[in-house]
Amino acid sequence: MNPDVHTLVGPYVLDALDDVERAAFTRHLRECEPCRIEADELREAAGRLADGAWSVPPPRLKATVLAAITETRQLPPPGAPPLRSAAARTTRFRLITAAAVVVAAAGAGTAVHVLQNQRVRDAQSAAAAAQASEARVRAVLTAPDLSVREQPLASGGRVTVAGSALLGAGVIMLAADASPGTDRVYQLWTIRDGTPSSAGALAAGQSTIVQVVEGLPTASEVGVTIEPAPGSAAPTTPLDALVRIS
Amino acid sequence: MPEHLRPVPTPREPADPQPDALLRAVADGDERAFGRLYDLVAPRVYGLIRRVLRDPAQAEEVAQEVLVEIWRTAARFDPDRGSASAWIFTIAHRRAVDRVRSEQAAADRTVRAGVAAVDTPYDEVADEVAIRLERQQVRHCLDELTELQRQAVTLAYYQGHTYPQVSELLDVPLPTVKTRMRDGLIRLRDCLSAGVAA
Repeated sequence: MNPDVHTLVGPYVLDALDDVERAAFTRHLRECEPCRIEADELREAAGRLADGAWSVPPPRLKATVLAAITETRQLPPPGAPPLRSAAARTTRFRLITAAAVVVAAAGAGTAVHVLQNQRVRDAQSAAAAAQASEARVRAVLTAPDLSVREQPLASGGRVTVAGSALLGAGVIMLAADASPGTDRVYQLWTIRDGTPSSAGALAAGQSTIVQVVEGLPTASEVGVTIEPAPGSAAPTTPLDALVRIS
Repeated sequence: MPEHLRPVPTPREPADPQPDALLRAVADGDERAFGRLYDLVAPRVYGLIRRVLRDPAQAEEVAQEVLVEIWRTAARFDPDRGSASAWIFTIAHRRAVDRVRSEQAAADRTVRAGVAAVDTPYDEVADEVAIRLERQQVRHCLDELTELQRQAVTLAYYQGHTYPQVSELLDVPLPTVKTRMRDGLIRLRDCLSAGVAA
């Protein structure tokens, strides 16, 4: 597990993490009992901060709530059979975590990095795209029919491809050990009928990315190459990784 | 600065023994116990949500959802993980923060903040004395934090900011914000438990 994750206990207890980091940290807590104990203790202290916000609710609230509970069925104690198989949930969880780690490693903090492709140049549309893209990443990674493939990069690192035919979209997560230098960039390709088309190039100096690719499940492979910056129209170098999708 | 050794002025009972017993009864479907629990926690649930949302109408709506959620999920409360009141306020805080973030109307809220920040008077309510003491203790313990710890903790908790937002607001690097949130909470915990022991 990313050692950086542990420092998030304060923001976690204060609900100051975004959803993706929160998922990563929740997973960290499962594996780390001392962290869980610390989180519980600090949550107890944080809960006391509610004392400082004391304010009388409108009197009608009580009547409304008491009426609502008579019509609200209570959940059974834990131990009831889960809706989905544990294995499926674990895979999904691992993926969200993987995405979170990539995002965190990229230093994004709150948003998924958007590929520096030619169409997304100005900062404002990049910010909007980042937000939309983060929601889309989450939708894909929680799709019921998600399939996942993973390959090492020849240059060191990993590429993970997750796709949902149901959503007609996929997510490519690239986590290279290092950026390929100042004048070279990682570039992603989707391959159909043996023909690659660009799914975007990373910025110079960038080594991680979470990229949503619409229509990904209809491709047969995803390729990764290292191209001269800022990227190429077609691959000009040998494949760094090839992930077979179908 | 003195560390967490100063006792609170007045000796008192351990923090909220009642919510735990009440919540257990609620888990068994006891509606009267829920009514009692409501009286104990609703002013803090509502007050906390209102503090985060800064909009009384929305706060009422979210507080209603949270209180019904407590009824619905009472059986999932695990006393080994902490107190009933921490469990309840965790749910309340999470919901308030989710609402704030889904709104994305940060600018609006900042404008409204100025006019809605006055707390409702609370003098006539039952359990007032105990709660007033707790409130006093929290304020005292917040004062024991360093300026940066207090700001990091309260900007996140009372205003629902993420830690990157707090980092930006305070113009302090991200790792520092993370650390100040954690050591601020540790100091708060130590101060509050020193109070209980007194």
